[in-house]
Amino acid sequence: MSSPLSKPQIIAHIQKSLNYTVFDSKWIPCSAKFVCLGNFARGTGVIQIYEVQHGEAQLIKQVEKPKPIKCGTFGAASLQQRHIATGDFDGNLHIWNLEAPDVPVYTTKAHKEIVNSIDGVGGLGIGDGAPEIVTGSRDGTVKVWDPRQKDLPVANMEPVGGETRRDCWTVAFGHAFNDQDRCVCAGYDNGDIKLFDLRNMSLRWETNIKNGVCCVEFDRKDININKLVATSLEGKFHVFDMRTQHPTKGFASISEKAHKSTIWQVRHLPQNRDIFMTAGGAGNLHLWKYEYPAQRSKKDSDGVDVGVAGSVNLLQNVNLSTQPIASLDWSPDKQGLCLCSGFDQSVRVLIVTKLNVA
Amino acid sequence: SGEEGIYPHLIKFCEGHLEKLNPKSRALRKETPVATEASFSKDEWNQIMDDLRTWAEETKKSETLLKQEPVFDLLKEKIPPVRSSNSFVPLNEKSFPKQRTNSSKHVLPRDYQEWDKFDVEEECNKVDGVLKNDPPAILNTGHPNIKRAVDASLLSQQEKFLLANREKDKGNEAFRANDYEEAVAYYSRSLSIIPTVSAYNNRAQAEINLQHWHNAMTDCQQVLELEPRNKKALLRRATVHNHMGNFQMASEDLRMVLQEEPNNASAIQLLSKIERKLSDCLPEQQSKGKKILIEELEEQEEQRACPVQPSQPVGGEESSAAPAERGDMGNAQKKPHSRGDGGPHSESSNSHHGHWRGKGGASDKYKVTEESKVANGSSKRGSTASVQGDKRSGTKGTTGGGKAEESVNLDAPCGALPPHLSRLKNEGNLLFKNGQFADALEKYSQAIQGYTDSGIDSPEDLCILYSNRAACYLKDGNSQDCIQDCTRALELQPFSLKPLLRRAMAYESLERYKKAYVDYKTVLQIDISVQAAHDSVNRITRLLIEQDGPEWREKLPDIPMVPLSAQQHRREEPPSEEVLRARAEKATRDAERRAEIHFSAFKQEGNDFVKKGQYQEALGKYTECLKLKPKECAIYTNRALCYLKLERFMEAKKDCDTALELEPGNKKAFYRRALANKGLKDYLACSSDLQEVLQLDANVQEAEKELEEVTVLLRQSLANTSQDKPRKTVPIKEVDGDEDMTDVPASESSCTRDNINLKPSSAYEFEPQLLPQYLSNQLDGHTISFIMKALNLHLLGKNPNLVYRHLHHLHTADRFSVVLMLLEKDERRYMSQLFEHLSAVESTEFTKGDVQNLANKYI
Repeated sequence: MSSPLSKPQIIAHIQKSLNYTVFDSKWIPCSAKFVCLGNFARGTGVIQIYEVQHGEAQLIKQVEKPKPIKCGTFGAASLQQRHIATGDFDGNLHIWNLEAPDVPVYTTKAHKEIVNSIDGVGGLGIGDGAPEIVTGSRDGTVKVWDPRQKDLPVANMEPVGGETRRDCWTVAFGHAFNDQDRCVCAGYDNGDIKLFDLRNMSLRWETNIKNGVCCVEFDRKDININKLVATSLEGKFHVFDMRTQHPTKGFASISEKAHKSTIWQVRHLPQNRDIFMTAGGAGNLHLWKYEYPAQRSKKDSDGVDVGVAGSVNLLQNVNLSTQPIASLDWSPDKQGLCLCSGFDQSVRVLIVTKLNVA
Repeated sequence: SGEEGIYPHLIKFCEGHLEKLNPKSRALRKETPVATEASFSKDEWNQIMDDLRTWAEETKKSETLLKQEPVFDLLKEKIPPVRSSNSFVPLNEKSFPKQRTNSSKHVLPRDYQEWDKFDVEEECNKVDGVLKNDPPAILNTGHPNIKRAVDASLLSQQEKFLLANREKDKGNEAFRANDYEEAVAYYSRSLSIIPTVSAYNNRAQAEINLQHWHNAMTDCQQVLELEPRNKKALLRRATVHNHMGNFQMASEDLRMVLQEEPNNASAIQLLSKIERKLSDCLPEQQSKGKKILIEELEEQEEQRACPVQPSQPVGGEESSAAPAERGDMGNAQKKPHSRGDGGPHSESSNSHHGHWRGKGGASDKYKVTEESKVANGSSKRGSTASVQGDKRSGTKGTTGGGKAEESVNLDAPCGALPPHLSRLKNEGNLLFKNGQFADALEKYSQAIQGYTDSGIDSPEDLCILYSNRAACYLKDGNSQDCIQDCTRALELQPFSLKPLLRRAMAYESLERYKKAYVDYKTVLQIDISVQAAHDSVNRITRLLIEQDGPEWREKLPDIPMVPLSAQQHRREEPPSEEVLRARAEKATRDAERRAEIHFSAFKQEGNDFVKKGQYQEALGKYTECLKLKPKECAIYTNRALCYLKLERFMEAKKDCDTALELEPGNKKAFYRRALANKGLKDYLACSSDLQEVLQLDANVQEAEKELEEVTVLLRQSLANTSQDKPRKTVPIKEVDGDEDMTDVPASESSCTRDNINLKPSSAYEFEPQLLPQYLSNQLDGHTISFIMKALNLHLLGKNPNLVYRHLHHLHTADRFSVVLMLLEKDERRYMSQLFEHLSAVESTEFTKGDVQNLANKYI
C-alpha cells in the first residue's frame, strides 16, 4: 500500500460500443485481433473480428448467424488454423474458420438446449493429446467432442434417468499434461462442482459450494492439476488446491468474498498461473494473487495426506461499468493485455501493468 | 456531509485505525476507477503505449508468417486416436463408495426434515466403515508421467518458439511453487523444443535447488557454450562448484561475474564465503585427503561430461531437438582437456567456434594448435569448417557467437567459385558443423563435380573442396578415400597444411605409420606449432622403433623438403598480435599452472613429512616450494615450524619475519617467532610476540600458556641478572666510601628521578635494574645522552660492571627503541665510544661478546 503505483494498474486502453449484446469475446492467438460473439436484438447471432490498431479496435469482419452465439474457444485448434469453436442458443456446436466464416468446418447438434459454456484443449500447444472440446448446457449434460468425429460426443456426462437435471453453467478442461490424462470440471446452478476423469471415465470428485457456480477454471490446463478456482452467484470465489485429494475431505480450499454481486468470470494469467482476475456483476474487476502455504500437504489425525490451502491477496480492483462483465480473456501473447465485454454492450481492451512485480 | 447517517470524519478515522490493525482488511477495499493516462507519469504512459504498439506490429508480422507456413497434415497422424466413442459417465457414479450411498440423492445440504431423521449411530458406523476401506489420499505431487521431451519436429519455427516459451513459463510457475522436480521436467520440455539460454539457466537453478549438482553443472556448461560470459550461468556454476567442494573453480567463476558486474551482491557474498573456505582448507587443514577428493570429483565430472554430451544432456532430449548443439560436440570433447586450465581459459576453448571466429581468419593457426590437444582429431571438424568459411567467404564479420553461425550466409562468395558452387560448399560446411558428415560429403562431391564440369581454373578452391571432403571421409572413418582426396588436394596445392594433416591422420588410422610419420614431419616443417603433429610424431616414433628396431629411420621413405616458399607462406600470415599474445598468455598460464601443481605437490609432501615428524625432509620440500613461489606466507610459517622442531631458532625467526612481512597479521608467524625467540632466550621479544598473537586472537590457548611460561622465564632471567645483585650491591656498598663515584650516579639518577617523581630515598637504593621502572615512559634523547655521559665520564673508569649493568637494563625501558632512533649524531658517537671503552675493559661479570650483543641493541 506504500505507493499506489508500485502495484499493478489496470488501464482501460480501448472501449468499443457495440450494437448487439455481446456474450463472449476472445483473443485470436498469435495476433492482435479478437472475436466478439453475441446476439443481435432481432434474435440472430453475430461473430465480429476486430483488430487492435493504433489504440483503436477496427472492425475487420462481421458475420451474422441464425442463432445467438453464447460462447467460443480456440482451445482445440492448431496455431496455424486457429478455428474457433462456438456454442449457440440452440445447442449447436460449430467450428468456424475465421478466414472463411460463412460455412462452419464442423457442426453438430450437441445439446437440446443452450450451450452455456465451452472449452477446448489439445490445440495451440496447450495440453498433450487429442484436440477436444467440452460443452456444458442447460439440458444438464456435459459432453466432450473430438473435431475429427461428427455427431457423436466422445464422452457424455449426464445425470442418470429420473434425476433432476441441473443447469450446467460452466465447464473447463484440466490435467492434460500427457496423452492419456485429462479432466473436465463442471459447475452447476445448484452449487455442485464435479470433476470428471476422462482417462478412467469416472467422477473423480464433487463438492457443493451452496451457490450457483458461474465459472470454473484450472490455473493451467496442461499441467498436473494444481489449482481450481470456482466463482459463485453470491460473490464468493473458492480456490481449491488440487494436488492432494483426501479420500473423504477431498481438496483443501480457501474462499474469499470479493464482490458484492455475482462473480461472472475468472481467468488466470497465461504467463503466471498464480495471478487471476475475477469479473463481477457490478462491473468491477479484481486482480488476485494466490500465495502457496509453506507446506502444501500435511498428515491428518489418521495419517492420511490432506491438502493445505494457501491464501489470496488482492492486487488491484477497479470499477469499469455499472453492468456486469460477462466475459474476460487474457491475451496469450502479450502479458497484461486483457479483453472484457459486458452487458453494457461494449467491449474493452485493458492493460494491466506491473504484473511481474506482483 | 449533508447526508443522513454518514459521517465522513468518523469513516476516515475508522479506516485509518483499521489500516493500522489489519492492512488487508476487506473493509478497506475500495472500488477505484480504472487507471487512465493521468495516473501515470508521462514516461510510463509512453512506455506502456510504445510497448503495445510494437507488440501489435510484431504480432502482425508473425501472424502473416504463420499464415504462410504450410499446414502439415502429418501432424494429425501423431495425435492420439479419437476417444472410444460416446462413453457415458453417469453424473453420480463415483469412484468412492461413500459418496454414492451418501450424497447421490442429496447434493444440496440436508433439509430440516432429514436432520430430524438423522441417526447419529448409523452415520458413525457408515463413516467408520468407510474409513476402513478408505483408499489412501490421491497425491498429484509425483510427476512420473510428465514427458520430458516434446516431439516438435513437425511444427513450424514460430510454433516451436511459442511452445518452448510456454513450457518454460510452466517451469517458472512450478519453480515459484517450490515444485522443482516439475520445474525441471518443464524446462526439459522447453529445451527439447528449442534450446535456449534462459531455459538452461533456469533448469540449472532448479537442479541446484534439488541438489542435483552434476545436472546443474551440465546445464551451466551448456549455457556457457551458447553464451560464454553469461553471468547467471557463471554464478550458478560457482554455486555448484562450491557445493562440490571445488572452491578454486567457484572463485574463478565468481571473479568472472564480478568482472562483468562489479556490484553483483550475491556474487560478492558467495565469493567471500568461498575465500574463507579456501583459506581454511589450504593452509590450516593441510588436507591431503581432501585435495584428492576434490580431484576425484573433477575427474568424475569429466567422465560424465564425455558420454553425456554427445547424446544430449539429461532426460531423453531427442536428437531432433538441437542440430545447433551437435555442432558443439566436437568442442565439448575438448572440455576435459582444457578444464584444468581454470575458468576463463576453459571458457574460451569451450565456447565453440563462434567465439574464435571473432578473431578472424588470422587466428586459424592458433586454432589448429589449440584443438589438436585432442589428438584424435575428432574435434577438428567444427572449427576447420568455420575457418574455411572465414577465409574464403569473407564473412569474417560474423562474430555474433554460436547463434549467428546457424544463419551463415549460404550464398557468401567463395574465392573464384561461381555462386552455385560456393553455395554448395557453404552448405557443406554448415552440414559438417552440424555433424551431418554424409550430407556434407554429398555437397562437397557435388561442388567438385560442378567445378570440374565448369572448367574453372582455380586450384586453390578445388584444393579446399577436396580437403573438406577429405575431412568428411575422415569423420566417416573412410580413410582410403580421405587419403585419396588429400593426395588430390596436395597435387593441386603442394604443402598445404590441412590436407597433409588429414592424410597423416588417415594413414595413422590405417596403421601405415611410416607414411603418417612422413606427413606429420612435413606438417611440422610447414608449421612447427602444430601440437597434434608433435604428439603423433612422438607416438609413431615409438611404434616404428618397436616395429623396425633401431634402424627404423633408414626404412622411412624420404621426407620431402618443404620449400622455403611454403614455409614462408605460413609465415607470411604470421600469427596476429592477438594470437601471439594469447599464446604467450597461455604459455604463462600453463607455466603457472605447472608451478602451481608442483608447488602444491611439494607443499603436500612437506606437510606429510611434518606429520610424520621428519622435519629435515619437510624443510627441503618447503624450500623447494619457496623457490617456486617466494611469496607464499603459509610456506614460510611451515618452514619456521620445521626449523623450530630442529631447534634452528635463528632461521625460524627469519622465516617468521618474512612471513610477517608478507602478511603482517599472521598469528602463526607471531607464535612461531615467539617460540624461536624463546629458543633464542630473548624472552622479551618472545612475550611481545605472544601478546601480539593474543591480540589477534584471544582464544589461542597455547599462546596464553606460552606467555605464562615466558613471563616466568622472563622474571627468572631478570632475576638471574639481578641475582648478582647481592654480589653487586656489595661492591657498590664497598665503593660507597668513594665520594666521586657515588656522586655521579646520584646526580645522574637524581636527574632521572626529577623527571619521574619516583624517589628512592637515597642514591644507594638505586639499582640499575630499576632504571627502566624509574624512567617509566619518560625516556627521551636528552636523558639517554645524559646517562651515557655520566656512565662514560664518571663510572666507567671505576666500575665498568655497573656501567654494563646500567646499559643492560636501560634498553628495556619503554620507548627506548623510538628514542634511539631520534638520537642525534653526536650522541650516537658518544654512545659508540662508550661501548668501545666498555669492551676494552676486562671484567669477570661480562665478556666482550656480551658487550657486543648489548652494543647491537644500542647502535
